[in-house]
Parts: sequence; structure tokens; C-alpha cells
Amino acid sequence: MAKRTEVLVSGFGGQGVVRIGQTLSTAAVYQGLNTTMLVSHGTETRGGYVRTQVVMASESIDSPVVENPDYFIALSKAAYNRFISLVKEGTVIYDPAYVEPDESLPIKQVPLAARDTAVKELGRELYANAVVLGAMARMMAGLVDKENILKAMLERIPRFHEENKRAFELGYALMPKE
Amino acid sequence: MRRTLDTGNAAITEGAIIAGCRLFAGYPITPATEIAENMSRRLPQVGGYYVQAEDEMTALHICIGGSLGGLKTMTATSGPGFILYADPMGWALGSEIPLVVVNAQRVGPVSGITGAPGQGEFYMSRYPTQGGNYETIVLAPNSVQEAFSITVEAFYLAERFRMPVIILADQLVTDGWESLSIPETPEEVEAMGLKVIPRRINEGPEFYPATDEIDIPPVVLGHNTDAACSDWTPTPEGYDTEEVDFQHKHAYRLIYKVRNHKDLITRYESYFVDDNPDLILVAYGSPSRVVISAVKQAREKGLKVGALRLISLWPFPDEIFKVPAKYLSVELNYDGQLVREVQRAMPKGSEVHFFGKCGELPTVAELEEMMQALLAGKEIKARNWEWEAW
Repeated sequence: MAKRTEVLVSGFGGQGVVRIGQTLSTAAVYQGLNTTMLVSHGTETRGGYVRTQVVMASESIDSPVVENPDYFIALSKAAYNRFISLVKEGTVIYDPAYVEPDESLPIKQVPLAARDTAVKELGRELYANAVVLGAMARMMAGLVDKENILKAMLERIPRFHEENKRAFELGYALMPKE
Repeated sequence: MRRTLDTGNAAITEGAIIAGCRLFAGYPITPATEIAENMSRRLPQVGGYYVQAEDEMTALHICIGGSLGGLKTMTATSGPGFILYADPMGWALGSEIPLVVVNAQRVGPVSGITGAPGQGEFYMSRYPTQGGNYETIVLAPNSVQEAFSITVEAFYLAERFRMPVIILADQLVTDGWESLSIPETPEEVEAMGLKVIPRRINEGPEFYPATDEIDIPPVVLGHNTDAACSDWTPTPEGYDTEEVDFQHKHAYRLIYKVRNHKDLITRYESYFVDDNPDLILVAYGSPSRVVISAVKQAREKGLKVGALRLISLWPFPDEIFKVPAKYLSVELNYDGQLVREVQRAMPKGSEVHFFGKCGELPTVAELEEMMQALLAGKEIKARNWEWEAW
């Protein structure tokens, strides 16, 4: 039985925020869990935020709203500032290329150099979301299997499979196991 | 059974295909665009027709034409398109033409915001055209899985009651992603409790009896029938008439075929209402999911609260409001629509309150604050638009 787990992913358009949410939700389906995912964004805003709210649980899910995220993946400063107050007991995973965390907060905040790893190792920032997914596979071990996240990622990201797989493994290696 | 992650729009598409829909005409609009997109791909695979209309009024007219030609038909839109259905909707209601209409509500008025949910067409779905003298059937899913099953049910009711059935969804249901089970065989469809009726053909001579009967086959033009099926008041044989006596009989039929078979339509869920709770939250569509979470958590904390989640909205289920209590209507609008019906339907000794959000879901924390305050009988301090004693 998996208790209700909430994941909030936010950044700016083009970072693959929706793909990360879709991949984690799809992996939850492969895992035999129930899952919901809401996407919010403004088509007119630039430099604003895109947000996906993912919930997964063994039982049926009532509210799809993420109010107490177990994991908050912050990929932009605006996203971090906007949603950090929601995190009480969960873990913040932030990309230091964009986010300078508020160290005074009594919560667990883990840096994940997704952008720099993607640029340095694969030459393109495009793969940063696959780095994030690899890291999440490590963080969420015990809830969703790594194989299911990888399978879901390859389904949801139809191109550049070899590069994305490498980025995924790099992210997995970067993250300490929870 | 196929288990997948998909949107409410995809679920509605698959539900329609399984229900036998073979013509979709529409004008794409967020947050219902993917219904049109998916239908354009799926219908040719099953021998059906997809028509991209030049506007919503034409789309519903095409659906009427398809239905009169013997096909099960559907169209889908959001509020700004739903208003344009008003003209053909009257024809479909008056001439008893079965079809299914989806409205994925977004925040309004007018074009509002494309990617934000709303519940502004509660009354418009009751009065979607002019003239009066009719009832409507309106169903409101609150999840992707239910969007699938309610679509199958909408086609079933459309055929039995011979009328348009409206699915009043919202942006979070249609654009939201969720785990979804799709049956792949007739046995699996049946195991899910879903019923499908094939299109029947009325061969006359009586097409519009002056009774409240349902399960009368609809008119399909070209089958040796003389029914005109125009937008004028018909005689029982389906001829246009100016006789007010026929008008009385036809109006009776349009109203009472629904009212007198309400038990076949009414669907709702209740939570913790059997121990005379002090406060009952009422909601439909996506906010009802937050309401259910909030009420479950409040019960764990010992608050004597319950919830009613409406699945069928019209005809309004007055009879489920049995317990005198404080009622709190939770809606995705600031003007308060459902609350007016709750106020009308609630038993003596009750009082009604309203909590509206505009373009976003309430949170469990917000609802808990409302429940605590109402249970304590406190004077609620208005928080700008967010709270209004009703």
C-alpha cells in the first residue's frame, strides 16, 4: 500500500515541466497506482511559471490539489518563490543554476545540477528534464520503480532516446538514495 | 481492460466511440479541443464521420442532421461556444432529436481564461435555448474515469429520452490527466455497468404521442415516414401545426417525459449524511473532489460534517436534500449558482452558505477553515470575494 504522495513540479515554459509530471504519472500507472495530474500555465506569460501537480496513491484519489508536496521540484526562481511555502515536511529538489534556496527554512532542500549536467555531459540543456527524472527515480525508490519511470520517460519523450537515457542515468547517480 | 494515463478529453472520446457515436461535428476550443482532435482520428477508424464546422451553431445543426439520418452524434465545446448552440439546441429539444453535447466549462464570462476552470453554465445548461416548455438532462463528471462512463451514459439517456443530453464538465476534468481504465470487449463494458442501446427507427404513424412515455424510437428521415421533424410544434404524426391544442400536448410531453422518469436520471454520492450532520457541503464537478477530501479529513478530526456530490444536475435532485442542516455550496464562480437551487431544495430549519472560487480549485485547508467557522456559528468576516454569507 502506497500512501498518498504529492509531487509539485514548477519552472518556466520549455524546461519540460509537463513532461516530468506526465512521466511520473505514467510511471505510477505502470506501478499499478492511481494518479492525477493537473497542469497550469498561462499561454501569455513569459518568465512566469508552469506548474504540474501530481498525486499518486494506492487508494482512489479525491482532491487532485497538491497542498503538502512530498517532493517539490523547483526549476526556476519564480517557481521556488511562489510555491516554497507549501513545503512543510517534504523535500525540495532545486536546480542551483536557477534557484538560490532560502537556507533559513527548516526543510530539506537538495540541489540537483540538472541544467549544468545536461550541458556539460550531453551538450544541450534540452536533456535537463531527463536528469531530473533520473534523480527522482532514486528519490522515489520504494514507491515507483526506476524501470517504470524510465519506461514512462521513453514513452512520453519520443525522440533522442539514447541521450535521454544517459541523462536519466546521470541524474540517478547524482542523487543520494532517500 | 486498457489501463493508461490520459485526459478527460480522451476519456470522453473513447466513451463516445464505445457508445456508438459515429458523427462528431465541432469547432475546437480550449479546454475541449482534444475531443475534436481525438474524434478526427478515432471516428474514421470505426467507419464514422468527423466534420470540422465553421462555427458552433453549425456544428450542432450538423449533429441534428446526422441524428435525423440515423447516426448517434456528439459535439463538444466550452462556454463561449455553448452559447452559440442556443438556436439548434431548441430544435433538438423540441423535435426530440437524440444527441450528446459536451461543455468543458472554463472561467468566464465571455472568453475568460482558456486554461482555468469555471462553473458558470449551471443555469445555462437548464435553459440552453429560448421558449421554455422543456426539461433538460445534465450530467457532471468529476474525474477522468467518470468522464468516460458518463459519456456512455449520456448516449444511453439520449436514446431513451429522445433528446439532447448535456455533459457539463470543467477544464480540470477535461484537461486534467488521470489513471483511466478503458474496456476493450463488450463483456468488459457490461462489467463496468455501462449500457449501450443501438439506434432504433420510428416507423410511425405516431411520432409525438401526448404522453410522458420514454423509449419511443426517434425519427430517422427517409424510412417511409412523413414526420417533418422541423422546428415547429408537431402534431402526433409529426406535421407542423399552428393549433394551440397540439402545443399543450407537446409541451406536456417534453416536460413530463423527463420529470416523471427522474429516477432513471438522478445520480449523486453522499458522504457522512446518515447521522444528522450539522453541516453539509454540496458540490459538483472538480471542486467536489476537494470537498470530499476536506469532509473526510474533518470527520477524522471529529467535526460532524457531510457532503453531497451531485452527478446529475438537471432535473435538480431536490429529494436528496433530506436533513435540516447548515448547507455550504462550493462552486467555481463568485456569483453563486448551485447555491440558489440548494436554498430552494433544502428542508425547513436549514440555512445556506456559499463559498466560490474563480478560476482555480479551493484547497482542503480553505474548506476546513470555512467548516470550522460555520460550525462555531461565527460571524464570518468577508475575505474580499472569497466568502459571502448567502
